[in-house]
Formats: sequence, C-alpha cells, structure tokens
Amino acid sequence: MTILCVRFQLPPMYEAALPELLGLLEEFTPVVEALPPDGALADLRGAERYFGRDAVELASVIRVRALALYGVDCVIGAGPGPMLARMALRDARPGLTRAVPGGEERDFLAGKPVAALPGVGTATARTLCEYGLDTLGRVAAAPLSTLQRLVGARSGRELHEKANGVDRGRVVPNGVSRSLAADRSFDRDELDPGRHRRALLSAAGELGARLRAVHKVCRTLTLTVRYADRSATTRSRTLKEPTAHSAALTRTAYDLYEALGLQRARVRSIALRAEGLAPAEQASHQLTFDPVDEKVRRIEEVADRARAKFGPKAVMPGSLAA
Amino acid sequence: MPGFTHLHTVSGFSARYGASHPERLAERAVERGMDALALTDRDTLAGTVRFAKACARAGVRPLFGAELAVAAPEPETDRTETSVRRDRRRVPVRGGAFVDESAPRVTFLARDGARGWADLCRLVSAAHTAEGTPLLPWPDNHADGLTVLLGPDSDVGRALAAGRPDRAARLLAPWREVYGDALRLEAVWHGREGTGPGSLRLASRTVGFAAEQGVRPVLSNAVRYADPGQGQVADVLDAARRLVPIDATGELDSGEAWLKDAGAMGRAAERIVESAGFRRETAHRLLEQTRATAAECLVDPEDDLGMGAVHFPEPHLVGAGRRTAQRALASRAAAGMVRRGYDRRRDHREYWERMHHELDIIAHHGFASYFLTVAQVVDDVRHMGIRVAARGSGAGSLVNHLLGIAHADPVEHGLLMERFLSKERVVLPDIDIDVESARRLEVYRAIIGRFGTERVATVAMPETYRVRHAIRDVGAALSMDPAEIDRVAKSFPHIRARDARAALEELPELKELAGEQERYGKLWELVEGLDALPRGVAMHPCGVLLSDASLLSRTPVMPTSGEGFPMAQFDKDDVEDLGLLKLDVLGVRMQSAMAHAVAEVKRATGTEVDLDAVPEGDPATYRMIRSAETLGCFQIESPGQRDLVGRLQPSTFHDLVVDISLFRPGPVAADMVRPFIEARHGRAPVRYPHEDLAEPLAGTYGVVVFHEQIIDIVDIMTGCGRGEADRVRRGLSDPESQGRIKVWFAQHATANGYDAETIQRTWEIVEAFGSYGFCKAHAVAFAVPTYQSAWLKAHHPAAFYAGLLTHDPGMYPKRLLLADARRRGVPILPLDVNKSGVAHRIELVSDSSSRRKKVWGLRLALSDVHGISEAEAERTAAGQPYASLLDFWERARPSRPLAGRLAQVGALDAFGANRRDLQLHLTELHRGARGGRGDQLPLAGGRKTASAGLPDLTSAERLSAELGVLSMDASRNLMDDHRTFLRELGVVSAKRLREARHGETVLVAGAKAATQTPPIRSGRRVIFSTLDDGSGLVDLAFFDDSHDACAHTVFHSWLLLVRGVVQRRGPRSLSVVGSAAWNLADLLEVRREEGLEGVAARLAGTGGGQGGDDPEGGPARRRLAGSDGQPAPAGSAAQDPVEQRRIRMSTGYEMHPWADLRPAGEGPAVGRKLWHQSPGSAG
Repeated sequence: MTILCVRFQLPPMYEAALPELLGLLEEFTPVVEALPPDGALADLRGAERYFGRDAVELASVIRVRALALYGVDCVIGAGPGPMLARMALRDARPGLTRAVPGGEERDFLAGKPVAALPGVGTATARTLCEYGLDTLGRVAAAPLSTLQRLVGARSGRELHEKANGVDRGRVVPNGVSRSLAADRSFDRDELDPGRHRRALLSAAGELGARLRAVHKVCRTLTLTVRYADRSATTRSRTLKEPTAHSAALTRTAYDLYEALGLQRARVRSIALRAEGLAPAEQASHQLTFDPVDEKVRRIEEVADRARAKFGPKAVMPGSLAA
Repeated sequence: MPGFTHLHTVSGFSARYGASHPERLAERAVERGMDALALTDRDTLAGTVRFAKACARAGVRPLFGAELAVAAPEPETDRTETSVRRDRRRVPVRGGAFVDESAPRVTFLARDGARGWADLCRLVSAAHTAEGTPLLPWPDNHADGLTVLLGPDSDVGRALAAGRPDRAARLLAPWREVYGDALRLEAVWHGREGTGPGSLRLASRTVGFAAEQGVRPVLSNAVRYADPGQGQVADVLDAARRLVPIDATGELDSGEAWLKDAGAMGRAAERIVESAGFRRETAHRLLEQTRATAAECLVDPEDDLGMGAVHFPEPHLVGAGRRTAQRALASRAAAGMVRRGYDRRRDHREYWERMHHELDIIAHHGFASYFLTVAQVVDDVRHMGIRVAARGSGAGSLVNHLLGIAHADPVEHGLLMERFLSKERVVLPDIDIDVESARRLEVYRAIIGRFGTERVATVAMPETYRVRHAIRDVGAALSMDPAEIDRVAKSFPHIRARDARAALEELPELKELAGEQERYGKLWELVEGLDALPRGVAMHPCGVLLSDASLLSRTPVMPTSGEGFPMAQFDKDDVEDLGLLKLDVLGVRMQSAMAHAVAEVKRATGTEVDLDAVPEGDPATYRMIRSAETLGCFQIESPGQRDLVGRLQPSTFHDLVVDISLFRPGPVAADMVRPFIEARHGRAPVRYPHEDLAEPLAGTYGVVVFHEQIIDIVDIMTGCGRGEADRVRRGLSDPESQGRIKVWFAQHATANGYDAETIQRTWEIVEAFGSYGFCKAHAVAFAVPTYQSAWLKAHHPAAFYAGLLTHDPGMYPKRLLLADARRRGVPILPLDVNKSGVAHRIELVSDSSSRRKKVWGLRLALSDVHGISEAEAERTAAGQPYASLLDFWERARPSRPLAGRLAQVGALDAFGANRRDLQLHLTELHRGARGGRGDQLPLAGGRKTASAGLPDLTSAERLSAELGVLSMDASRNLMDDHRTFLRELGVVSAKRLREARHGETVLVAGAKAATQTPPIRSGRRVIFSTLDDGSGLVDLAFFDDSHDACAHTVFHSWLLLVRGVVQRRGPRSLSVVGSAAWNLADLLEVRREEGLEGVAARLAGTGGGQGGDDPEGGPARRRLAGSDGQPAPAGSAAQDPVEQRRIRMSTGYEMHPWADLRPAGEGPAVGRKLWHQSPGSAG
C-alpha cells in the first residue's frame, strides 16, 4: 500500500488551482499523476523510506500541508496499486484515510459495484449489469471465457484480473500534471458569440502571460464549454509549435470555438487549458521573413514587463477594456 | 379631432408575438376614443371572429388583415449565394440553430368587402402551403381587394433602414406593379435610436421616400400589446419564439408598441414629418392618409365574412340526385320506417306523425342537406367496417334514427326532438358521431375523399398558455436553471397561468415552493402575463367542417403538421359563428376496444358477436354491474361511479341511463342522488308536485334528472308547446331571464288552472334545475356502449381485456386492468414470440374435463414491448413459429435492444437456457453477423441454446423487467413482494377491508392508480385517489383539513401508505377518508436499509404528519377562521380568499377554484417507477 489517491475538495469550476496542489505532492515524490479536474495519484515507494513514515501517516501530512498552505481540504485513499487506491478513495472522507492492505484486495472489492472499478465506463458497466454481473464479486466468479465474450478478449481478461484484485497499473507522471487552466463564467445564459470570443481572448491572454511568467510553452490547448443544463463540450487541438505566445493561443482558441458552430446553446462558462507544458528554452520556433510576427512578440515582451510593474490590467487588448 | 385608426395591430393569436387578447384591444380602442381598429395577426386570421364579436360589443368598426412573410419577387443572384453559404454553416454541436426570421413581413388589409376577405383567406392559405415556416410565394402575391402596407420589416423598409433608397426604389417596383394604388408605405416610430425599425430616422426616411416615389404614406404603431408597460411580456414572447433567453444587453422591446391614443399618434406624426424636413402642419396630411386608408377598408362581419349564414354541401353530393334535399330526406326517412319495421307496428301512427312533424321542422329551417350529409358520412363509415354511434341530443330525433345515424329508438326511450331542434330555435343543431379511435383518421380521409378538399377542413384548436408552460417559457427566457424550471413547473397542477401566485398562497402542496417564491423575482408576474395567450395551434381532435365549394374563400386553411389534413384556422366556436357546418367525429377508444374484442372472439372461436344486437336485460351483465366491479366499462368505471353503481343497483337499461345522468357535477352538487336512491329502494315515498306531472316524472321516482322532463313539465303546466318549453329551459341558466320566466310561468300556469302552491313548488324544482340536469338523449347514447362493454366483460372477459389493453381506454393504467383480469380469473399468459400477436389475443387455456366450460386466457401482445416498432411487431408475428433462437434472429430480425428486452421478459424462454444466457447469445448473434464465428453459438441439437454460466434473473428482477419493458406486472402483482413489510405494519388488504366496520381507523397501502380533484357539492377541494394492492382497489378521499399534511405526498408518490377512517354508505359502497399519507417506496427503502427502527423513526418524524388531529392551531383550521383574523361566521364555510375565488358556473353552481384540475405530479405510475432501482435490476 504505497500508492495514494488524493482528491482535493476544490470549489467547482476552479481547476486552475490544481497544478499548484500537484506541486505540493511533488515535494514528497516525483511520481505524481494528475487526475483532472481535482485529483492525483502519487507513488510513495521511495518516500516511505526517505521520510521514515508509512503511506497513511504521509497522507495526514499531505492533508495538513494542503490545508495550511492553500486552505484546501482533501480526501485520500491508499492501496497497493493505483486501481485499489482509487477504489479506496471512494470509502474515504476528510480526516479518514482508507487503506487497503495487501492480501485483502478480493474481499475489499467483492461488494463494490462494477461501475466503481477504474476503467469500467458507463457502457461497460451497463453491459455487465445487463447480464447480472453488477458487483465485482460476481464478476470475479464468472468464467473468464464468458467475460471475454461479453466485453472482448483483452478487456475481459483485464476485468477478470482487476476484479480478482490483481492491480498491474503504475503511476505514470502525465502531461496534465503540468497544465494551466483559465476559466471565464457568465452570470446568465450567454449566446452572443462576441462575448464568447471576448472570454476566449481574455482567457488565452491570461494563459499566455502565466506561461511566459514561468518560462514555459504549451503543446495542446483544450476548450471546455459548459451549458445551462450542466452538460459540457470539450475539444482539444495540438498547436503547430509549442508556444506561449498569446496571439497564437488566441487564434487556436478561436478555431476550437468556431468548430463548435454554437448558435442557440446557452453557455454558462468557457474554460481554456494549456497542456503539455515544457520549458520555453527547449521549444522550437519557426522563423519567418514577416517582420510583423517579430514585432508582435516584442510588443508582448514589453507588455509583460509593464504588467509586471503596474499590475495585470496595465496592458490589455482594446476589446476587453471596454 | 376624430380618433386615430391603428392599421397594424397584432393580438395574442400571433403565437408568441402579440401580448394582448383581441377583446382587450377592442375595449382599449373604445376607451381611447377610436372608432375603428384593424387586426393584422401574423400568418393567421384565427383571431378574426373573436375580434369581430368584441368590436361589435364595444362599438368599434373592425378592419381585418394579416401580416405575412413574403418571398422575394425573383431570387437575386448575390442573395442566393450568401444564403447557400449560410446553409453550409456548421451544424451546432449543442443547442440547435437560430430560428430563421429573416423573411420580410408585409401587412395586408382586406378592403373590398367579401372580395377582400376572400383574397385575404387565399393569401393566408397560400402562405401555409410550403413546408416549414409560413411564407407567401411571390406568384401568389396578388389580389384586387387588398391594401398593402410596406412597413419597416418589409424588403423596402429594410433597404431604407440600410440607407439605400436606390435599392428601396428598385424593390418597390414589383409591389407597385401588382398592387398599384393600393400600396402604402408605413411609418413607425417607437422612439428607438439609430436607423432600424422603430427609429425616428427610418420613419422620416419612409415618409420622405413615399413623397419622392408618389406612394401614399400612413402612420402606424405596429401594436403588439394593448397597454403601456407590457414590453416585458413582449420580451418573454420574443425569447420563447426565438428559443433563446432574453438578452438584457441586446435590443429589448421598446415598450412603445401599445395602442396609443390619437393625441400621442398626432404628436408622433409631427415629429416624423418635421425630421423628414417638412413643415409641422403637414402632419395632418399623414394622419389624413391613414384615416382615408382605414375608411376604404370596408369588410362587414355579417355580410362579407358570412357570420350568421349557413353553408351546406350541395345536395347532389349527398345522394339527392336532381331532387331537392328535402324530398330526398323525406323518402329516405320513409324507407327507414319500412326497413326497421315501424310501419308494421301497432303504434305505427305515432311513428309516422312524429316523422312528419320532424320533417316539417327540418324543412322550416332548410336543414335537409345537413341531415343528408351526416347520414352520408355515417353510411360511408359503416361501409368501411368501422363501428359508429351517434351521441348527443341528435339521438332525440326520429329522423336521425331512421337515417341510421342514431341507434336507440327515441320514441321508445321518450326522447324529444325539441331538445335537439325546434322551430323556435335558430342555432345550428349538432350531431356528434363516435367512431373507433384507432381508425378516426381513416374516417377523416373518407370524408375528405367524399366531399373534396375544397369543402372539407378540420378545425383548429389553439393551445394556450397554462401555468406549467408559462413557467417553462418564462424560466427559459430569464436564464433559469433548466432543472429548476422543471421542478417548479411540475409541482403545479394544471391551472390557469393567471392563478399562479394565488395557487402558491393557497394550495398546501405548493407550500414548500411558496417559501422560496421571492427567489424567482419577476417570474410570477410574467407567468401571469402570459395567461391564456395562444402559443401554438393543433388540430381539434374531433371537429370536421363541411361546406359548399365556397369554403376556401371564407376560411383560411393550413395543413396539419402530422397528417397534412387541411385545417381551418378557426376554432370550434368561431366556426359556429361563421355558419360553417361542423360535424364532430369523436374517436372513442372504447369503440376500438370493443371492435377488437369482437374480432378476437370471432378469430378464436368462430362465433360472430353482434354487439348492436345483444339481448337486453341480460342478468349476468347486471349482476356484474351491481357488484360494482366495473373497471374498464364505458362511463361507469371511475371510483365515484363504482360507488354510485353500488348504491343504485341498476337492473335495467333505463337504470343505466339514470345512473349516467346522475353522475354529473350538477346532480351531485344539488344532492339529487340521495333522494333518488332512497326512493328507488323504497325507503322514501315518491312525491310529485302535481299528479299531472306524474307521467314525465314516474320513471325517476319524482326526481328531475333529465332536460326532457323539464321540457315536459313546462309544457304541461303552461301549455306552450315543447319547442317553446325548450327555449324556456335554456333561459333558466341566465339569472336575468330567469326572473322574467318566473312571472311568465306563474301567469300561464294559473291560466291553466293550477293553484299557487303547486306553481310555487314546481317553480322551485324548475328553478333549481338551472344548475343541474342532463340531456336524456346524451345519456341514452352513452348507455348503449356502457351496456355493450359490460356485456362483453360479463360474457367474454378475456376478449374484453384484450380489447381494453390493446386500445388502452379509460382512466386506469394498463397494469390495473391486468390486475382486475387476474382477480376475475382470466389467466394471464406471458409474452412468447411463438404465440403472441401484434395485439392482445385470447387463447384457449384448458377445457379441463372436470369442468366442461372452456377457459380462455389473455396472451400479452408484442406491441406492448417498450420500443418495438410496428414493422418489427408485424414481422415477428408473421414469422411464427420459430424453431430456435437463431431462427428467430434471422427471420424476425429484431433490433438488438428489442431482442434483449424480449429475452428479459421471457418471450424467448421457449428456446432454452436462462434469460441472461439468451441475452449473451443475442449479443453475439448481433456481433457475429460479421461471420466466421459460427462455433460461438453452441446449439444443443439445433433447438436448445447452451448455457453460458451467467446468473439467471431473480424473481424480483423478472418483475422489474416486466415493469420496465411492458409497463405491467404481468407475472404477479408488484405489491406481493412487499407483503411481509405490509404485514409488519398491519396494513389491511383491499379484500379484508370489505369486512371493516364503519368508522374504523385502518392502514391501507398500494400502487396509486388514479388521482382526481373533481368538483363536488360542498365546493371544497377533495382529492380522490385509488390504490391497487393486488387483492382489489381501495378508494381514498382526502378532505381539505388533511391537505397540508398529505397533498404533496399523494400527488408525487407512486406507492402510498395511508392511514384513514372507513366510510360505509351501502353494502357495496366503501371508501377510506385519509388523514395521513407516506411514500411507501421511501419506507420500503428505509426498511431494507435501516430496519424497523428506521421506519419507526421516519413515522415519528416528518413523514406523514397528522392533518386533522390538531383541533385549534392547525394551519387548515386557521385558514378556515378567516384571513382577517375574525372568527368564521357561524354555520358557513369561513370567509377566506378561496371563498371569493370560488368559480361560479353559468348554471349557478359553485366550484372550488382548484377543483377539476389535472393534479400536480405525473399521473399514475407506469413501468419501472413503481419499482426500486437496485443495482442488480436487469437492464
């Protein structure tokens, strides 16, 4: 039981705080996998020995630090593998870390509904429930061949293993763990494309400024549009070259937005996330003979300096100033 | 200064655009000193009749017109390209596309009398011919009798707004070519900025452009609402029409588009001409032009619209040949006499006299064509093999009976022609016919085929805003959370929108919502503002217009959305005022059900049952009726009727007629039921006001039940003749004429030698009659199918239930009918793909040798499977029998989900293996169609399906699957599974309840079947509900002192546990008066999870509450004590707001304001809502 699954209790639509909280986890171990919007997996194998405490005690330390530093409470589950840690998280609550000791995996899983198993989506869960395999105990009891007939050869085998407590997963530090998000919400149902674009412009501008401030570039931009009925649409696009240039980010954001073709959709918020962050010095940049590009980037540099000196509102696009 | 005439005014009939009713507009016009007003609704003339009548009442001259979207003369090349590009725009991933309102709009006014009106009708009809939104094609855009106003929304106006007078001039040319001198340019000033519609600059440009082009300008205010301050309602309507929220930062309604008076319009004219660069004095020229345009538009509602005149189909179309219609009618009636054998009866003289008398009356009015038309329709319907029956007062006419329109012999049943038609009566009589509901549209097609689309149209039925829709539309316009809108809307009963805030204050089940009322801000005000505005139009479910060939020049016609029938834009009342002959063709599901039952009997046994010839007075049938187990029988299945039937104990057809007549709001309100029943069972003497009246009153033990009896009483006492007596009877409902009638009655009765006391007593009866009574002809027409359905239930129960379940008539959910069938010993046979048909069928279960009687079972139908298409059901039934699962899969070709559902409910059990294994095999068959995996389906001997080792459905899962798939608990009653818990609680079953004492306090439980709040005598609101617990039905009543505690639970739960007191009123009459109610589903959940202690905690807590147990301080009592804090007046219901809002019917009888509404919640539960959703449930 060396893997922790942490869920921070962030206010809704406040994903932007996640990267900072991941930084907190990284003080304990470099092996951290973000589970956006508000969770993370951490492998504490090395940390246990280093700090001389076991995972459950470290969990308490993490919680105390999160509360002290950021005022954010968290819920933590611990288990021998990422899957079991996640399952344990479901039983945990603030202040009570749920740990699944090695050897008790099968008993722990038997009573759980199939949908609780990571990797079992709604579709698979529906299929399994249709055939009466609604708890992991029943799934574990079903013949492997039947499971394979139900969900396919490979996922059938995986399901069989997982239901029997065999957790082969690893914590893989992923791109999302290094991402930045900017959120713009509207106080009523907003249909006006003009105002949508202003929100995008301001969000992309903020992302660009924040990226440049930490000397990073991003590779992918993800747009999430939330609607009045609480549903959402998400689209991602990989940039032509990794960049932190606000104009390039804005262009991509606009393209993503245009592709949705929204007309009567009742938009309540727009979120942009920059993913795949990398150090700016490693980024390649295609030079052009067009002097404009060069000038824009230099103006941006100057604007950044002005903002650093006079506050974030010192320089901004004209359409946002109105 | 004479008044100003608004030439461009829309009413609420412009769906989701106009905010005022035509009546309100006419009233305001008079108040503001106008003497003429135009109504130019968008795309419709539906408001015309109401407007014309309102204008006549108010004393203003109506002008008629319409505002239509008009297509461009010829497609301009550059325009089409952009529009093509627009079409290619991306399809939105969410939320849908904008509503296209880009077509320019132009106002047309009817000018030259009937010709103008005909042109207007033609244009409106033409605008509706194309698919999608109404648009007038340019080739149809011509008329001689119309004046055309080109306003800010026309193509010309838009060009001017865009600052392109050159383009405007070019666009004006085609208009000028077509309409010449009848063209006007309309200037509108709403005080807006810029150059858009309603701006001063556009108005002045329009006036200037008019002077330049030599076209006459007029001034209008493009009125959308009657009064200032209604701009917000207009905003909501705009949002609802465009399906977007109100954009507070965008352009809102100016608030100026109200019916301004002459002074304000004069000032507007001055501003406009001044800013157009003319002298201020020229304003009077603009006003003069407007006045002259209005003066030209002369359409008279009586002469030109045809109000008051009658138009029947031409005689040659209804079988009169070259004879006159009257001659043809007389000979057909005489032929009917011979065919029915009345001429050979001993009393044949009576029949002949009656026939000639009726023919005289018909000739007097010239209605012969009408009778022939109806007879023709009935003949056609009967030839198609569709069950048809007449209903309504038309059943009182012997001629109708002879023509084959009505079944019952009016002479034998004592029905009067005068109730239907007399020389004194000048309104159009109406004959309604009932046909099988399932084949109603076929009948419509036959009628259209017979008379042609130029003579036939269906009737429109405007759908108006009531509270739920109003909340939904306003909520969406105000950007409220969709889930919240849904919750708020659903918690309301189906009441008028204008009562929203009153309901919040008064209805106990809305108490919770009322607490958070403030949160919603303007919502309630706007909801009430939408009250009764039309929001769309649908086809009236039964009216069909029949006319001569001039129909289309008198009525605008549009196609109905689904079937494409021609539909007149007028509703059923308008149609009567316009003198159009309307035939009501009602689809009655019971007729379909009976037809199906008869067909099933014939298919299965070969016996032909002629329902129209079943023997009268069948003892088995009446025994069944007297037992009050009349679920599914026409007209006598409601809880109240079952109670009444139990007390009345009918034994003849006449008793059924009386029973049906008594179960009306009026008689119940006037407490006629008790004296009648007392007298019938000999517990009270029969009394007559005078022995002369013994004859008409003898059949009903001296109690007046029928209209016909009043006609007879008045006729006997005054000797005025029955025609006059019917007129008097009609006058009774009006308090004013009642006074005159009283004097008249006393005079004539005295003259006929009756003493004052008799007159006084008789008058009391006659006067009281103003509030109750029922037309006997109606009741007789109703009683025929009642008896027929009861006969079927008594003699062919399986076939009867098969018919009911197939056509789903009546007020109860199907599962209740199934429970009833089970109780009456009809075996329910499960769904089986090898045996079930498309519809429910009957099947011989056993002719067990011990009992020689054959037992017929009910085989469930494929069509009841959730999500099965008609084609799939038919294919499955046609391919029977199937040898194996593979065979079924290949030949019936069901969709995957459907096959899965069939497996779940056991329809595939014949193929071996358990239901889950079958599902797996089906999935693989579905997947394996790709080939090469034949060995994946191991078949034992090619017949049986091998097991895959999956757990089978548990018994509870099977029941859940049945509820989910069939919406019925087919294998057993769902309450059976809760027996243990109910026994723990000590719940009394419906069966044991029959032995309960009067006044005993009991607990009952069951699945809710039907809930009503009908109008009742005391004017209080009572919630009636019926529970089904498997052993029978329990009828519940909740009086208003328990509403605070129970109403919400009763309306919003599917399974109920109720504490109440037993009420007995007769051997078969039993109900429980509820005092507390709990949601049983919740309690079951608690029992499962927390055990009995949890249940106890729940019962001790907030759960049901104790309605009437608190003698002083209960909220209900406080309400009764009057809101002003004073004690309630002794002996009467307390003065409270409810009291003043009580609705007084025209008959003088009072109704609780919230009675007779479809209650809140979602009606009786169907399907899986009755069943807990455990994670293990199937599917």
